[in-house]
Amino acid sequence: MKDPYVICWAVLLFSSIAWYGFLVFYIGIKAGGEIRTLIKDLTAENARVDEIARRDR
Amino acid sequence: MTLALIDWIIIAVYIVGCLSAGLWMRRFVRSVDDFTVAGREVHVNLGIASLAATELGLVTVMYTAQLGYEKGFAGAIIGVIMAIAFLFVGSTGFVIEPLRNAGVMTIPELFEKRFSTRVRWLAGVFVALGGLLNMGIFLRLGGDFLVHVTGMPGSWLESVMTILLGLVLLYTVFGGMLSVLITDYLQFLVVGVGIVVTSVLVLRHIGWGNLIDGLNSAWAANQAAGAKAAAHPFNPAHPSNFGWGYLAWQFVFQLAVVTTWQTTISRVLATKDSGTAKQMYRRVSFYFVGRFLLPGLWGAAAFVYFTQHGGLPSGLDSSTAMPRYLGVVLPAGFLGLIIAAMIAAEMSTVSGYMLTWATVIYNDIITPCLKQPLRPKSQLFLTRSILFAIAAFLLFYGLWYKMPGNAWDYLAVTGNIYLASVFALLVAGLYWPRANSTGAYAALILGAVGPLTFLVVNAVVAKDRQIAPEIAGASSFALSFLGMIVGSLLTAAPAKASAPNPA
Repeated sequence: MKDPYVICWAVLLFSSIAWYGFLVFYIGIKAGGEIRTLIKDLTAENARVDEIARRDR
Repeated sequence: MTLALIDWIIIAVYIVGCLSAGLWMRRFVRSVDDFTVAGREVHVNLGIASLAATELGLVTVMYTAQLGYEKGFAGAIIGVIMAIAFLFVGSTGFVIEPLRNAGVMTIPELFEKRFSTRVRWLAGVFVALGGLLNMGIFLRLGGDFLVHVTGMPGSWLESVMTILLGLVLLYTVFGGMLSVLITDYLQFLVVGVGIVVTSVLVLRHIGWGNLIDGLNSAWAANQAAGAKAAAHPFNPAHPSNFGWGYLAWQFVFQLAVVTTWQTTISRVLATKDSGTAKQMYRRVSFYFVGRFLLPGLWGAAAFVYFTQHGGLPSGLDSSTAMPRYLGVVLPAGFLGLIIAAMIAAEMSTVSGYMLTWATVIYNDIITPCLKQPLRPKSQLFLTRSILFAIAAFLLFYGLWYKMPGNAWDYLAVTGNIYLASVFALLVAGLYWPRANSTGAYAALILGAVGPLTFLVVNAVVAKDRQIAPEIAGASSFALSFLGMIVGSLLTAAPAKASAPNPA
């Protein structure tokens, strides 16, 4: 276990597990909010385009 | 079959949920811009989720686990190099900043602004060719995983993967990038949970001390027996492992990947601005260490497990050992979770890749040939038809092509068909005012010579006479840059030599 390569891989491995666990929650919450914003923006844009098309008709 | 009822329920709930979410997004698609770059409305966290989900496919899990099986932890060095490349580009904005500011949909589109329409077209051909060949093995490797982890008959592989491809095609064709983003998000969550849980269970099963001792013992035994093929399990620079030459090529290769690989760049182009793109790269960088290291752990654990249990059973190899091992390790419920996660990984990657290559074929190969621009509805119809054609290619090619060597080398070399040349064009086009169209043609053609020779020669010659992947890969980078420099210097300077940056 004194092998520096093994220590290095161990640090990277356990950091990766922790990082993936953290990202699932953090990105899960943040990106979920961004999806809601995206859908709201797209809905508003669609309504605007529909309104212009109706007026043109 | 090793699946219990609870596993089937988890898998079914995931697939139905993902499909419904993907199809629901079709209502927002009004134009090719919505379809291909989601109207450029993507913020940083959704960009991270989408990028991570697309770039971590079932094929990734298979080849990184294969590296773990064959090369131990040292196999994950490629992920470390990739993370460094992401961090460097995210910190400096190298290539991606001017590329995003140019407001293009694809990389070849930038070449039209900088060089000529013909350069754009030729680059589009190389990008699509390299990308499609690269993607050709996704279904086969993904199917191998499912066959071995579930214990289902091997003869079901084609049917199962065809159904899966059909489901992905359904939501991608209707919703384009918007559907891909939403399903990528769900897939990111499922894959993340699946990978963490599986890694913890694998560590618990094999034991950290036993894993390290097992890898060291196997290495020592192979050395004592004089085996040439055994790789040092922890030192990637050791001559028996990758060696310095291969690692040097990987540094250049990964820099090209993060600045040039169209599926990655399509997320950059879908972001709100270049600052968001850079932030996305910085934050996602460490994810790529785990992308290689965690499935690599599963592969290394499979190696130790089978070594300690009488050797690899017949019918298994370094690629399929990991899924068989997971079938042993994971209890009911968890097995369903990891299969759902891996199906998620497969779906997100296949959908993202299909959409990307369809966009390139539509935008850079077909559009420049049209005398008049198509109506928006025709544009959408054409892009969707290309998606169908790509799916048909995947089924055909994925079933008959036999890989020379391991999966990672195949993916790296096929990607290199365009990575080297397009990287040379991008760097020269953005940062060297003297670069011109002649140099661009020379770079494109010379860059493809090495990888294409690798594919053809290695498919027909005996194993001991095959070309090493790092030779094929490094030569294509050298030839591309040489072609760009010599071609540009031997011919007239471009008219706008003082405007290196199209932004």
